[in-house]
Amino acid sequence: MNQWLDERLHISRLNDKFLRKAFPVHHSFFLGEITLFSLIILILTGILLALSYEPSNSMVVNSFDPGTADKPNLIPAAYHSALKINAMPFGDMLRRIHHWTANIMVAAAVIHMMRVYFTGAYKKPREINWWVGMLLLIFTAFTAVTGYALPYDNYAYNTLKVIYSIAASLPWVGEWVSQAAFAGKFPGDGLIPRVYGYHIMLLPGILLALTAAHMLIMIKQKHTQPQYAKRIAYKKIVGVPLMTQQTPIMLALTLLFAGIVVLFSAFIPVHPVEFFGPPSTTPIDNIKPDWYLLWIFGVLAIIPSFEIHFLGGVINSEFVGAIVVPTIALLAMFAVPMLDRSRDNLYYAENPTNYPVRLGLGVAFMALLIVWSVAGYKPELISAGILSNANANAVLWIATFLVPALCYFAVQAIVRGIRSLREADARDRANFQAADD
Amino acid sequence: MTRYKRQDPEITRRKFINVAMGTTAAVGGVSLLSTLGAANPVFRLTANKMPPQAGDILVHAQESKEGQPIRIADLGPQLVRAWPQGKDENGDPVIRKGDPNNILALYRFPKGQLVAPTNLDATIDGETVAYSDICTHAGCSVGDSDINAGEMKCPCHSGQYDPKRGCIVIGGPPPRPLAQLPIKLEGDNLVVTGFFLTYPYPYTNENEWESIKKEVEAQRT
Ligand code: FES
Repeated sequence: MNQWLDERLHISRLNDKFLRKAFPVHHSFFLGEITLFSLIILILTGILLALSYEPSNSMVVNSFDPGTADKPNLIPAAYHSALKINAMPFGDMLRRIHHWTANIMVAAAVIHMMRVYFTGAYKKPREINWWVGMLLLIFTAFTAVTGYALPYDNYAYNTLKVIYSIAASLPWVGEWVSQAAFAGKFPGDGLIPRVYGYHIMLLPGILLALTAAHMLIMIKQKHTQPQYAKRIAYKKIVGVPLMTQQTPIMLALTLLFAGIVVLFSAFIPVHPVEFFGPPSTTPIDNIKPDWYLLWIFGVLAIIPSFEIHFLGGVINSEFVGAIVVPTIALLAMFAVPMLDRSRDNLYYAENPTNYPVRLGLGVAFMALLIVWSVAGYKPELISAGILSNANANAVLWIATFLVPALCYFAVQAIVRGIRSLREADARDRANFQAADD
Repeated sequence: MTRYKRQDPEITRRKFINVAMGTTAAVGGVSLLSTLGAANPVFRLTANKMPPQAGDILVHAQESKEGQPIRIADLGPQLVRAWPQGKDENGDPVIRKGDPNNILALYRFPKGQLVAPTNLDATIDGETVAYSDICTHAGCSVGDSDINAGEMKCPCHSGQYDPKRGCIVIGGPPPRPLAQLPIKLEGDNLVVTGFFLTYPYPYTNENEWESIKKEVEAQRT
């Protein structure tokens, strides 16, 4: 049979080309894999959840608490089905696994990108894959946000409302765009079916296509080689083949990772829909987005209010804070490979301390996002008495500029220190050898 | 470099195919785009989605008392949420909560505390005042501040308003004050006497608000 298959499908070629792909042996190269496993787990748990979920925001009688005949207790069908999922065996667990994996996927993707950035792996010839990776990051965030909305509890409802109005804050076209995106004026009857379509069809489709492209390009271009490969065999691909060495490592990693996620899910509850209750007009105190969007939220909290009427369009603080600022940040990340002037192909991962400017800028950028994320906690900082109503914005704005700048210069100083230590080492070694001779 | 331009029939054929393919792709793309129109359903202004208007009475929005008419005695310096209740085409009472942006915030302060820019003529005795309870920033429902008593705080991006001074913005990103709704006392009921004095959320300019007001007027007659 093997031969029969091989004659038709040329499996041996596949074997040479893909199954023997060499993987560099270094733990930082696992981050991308973790992202991929997360996506797979998300799709599997997502399918199971979709089987029991009812994508509709029309009102149904709450079967857990029906009320009376003349005053029935009506709640949205989507919320009702979320309650039912929680009530089924392992239903709550399934939701938690889905949720935690989503968080881990974003985290792994972010750290993976940091690895790529700090070691210069985005350089020629891998620029395209950096851009595909950026798109993956953006669409992952979109997928997460639309998933957030589906339980349609009060929290999801408020989140959706903010997203709707961020879309509506686009000058000139905002009203049309937000209504087209969310099936009419908020909250239209088609709201949940529309978001459901995005979350289970459109966005996962885009993610899968981008992931496939990302990996095919990676296989074609090969991984950047870690530094030790240069010493062992210069200009040769060093690593372990996918079949049969890398696979057990990957499997072990997957199992370990799945184990951790399940452990998390068993003990740390997420998004308790019962607690938030069905959509209502009572505000939820200190509502926050997930950690990876907190920086945008922070910008919105400290941006002063304004509204400029310009040629019939309105440019307001919301548009600037929630669309312009994040777009600039993302464009800066997109532009990373273009700011690099190296003409040669890069084979070996670079030592970050040899590129202090790049290292410093990267650290400063992350510091900026952290400052903004802290700004997302402005109300808490004020309640706790750390900041006051009067000075909160000023303090946070000063931090916005000061902290990244300080980080940049601190990195330069540390790098200089490391370098002088290294040079001293080299000098010692040279002296030692000279004395030996 | 040659001085003569090479006349290569291959090139023109290739060009032709490229142009043909380009045109096809463009036409196809545009026609696909036209289906996007279906993404945006038509909006019908029904009685339960209309903004509060003259003649509506105010009823409690709080879950346990929903639909009960609000009495002056229910109000105080703590926010009370209300829905406008009007009449539908058949003259039956209808709570206008089909549009959640219709939620209102009611306050009653001791005499003299409500000051400009609050429109005092649109309040009851300069004591009881009604505002839209929807944050002009991104449409969250605004509550009483837990930090500074007597102020309002939006939980979403910590916008702050002062309900005693016409709900002007005193902190955070909201671009405009909350819109004030003119009310009066009629018997025991709180009755709306007209539209919001300025355009409320989700409208972003005067024109949109004017046109919705016209639409409402047209349906009333
Ligand atoms: S929605 Fe109120 S501050 Fe953003």
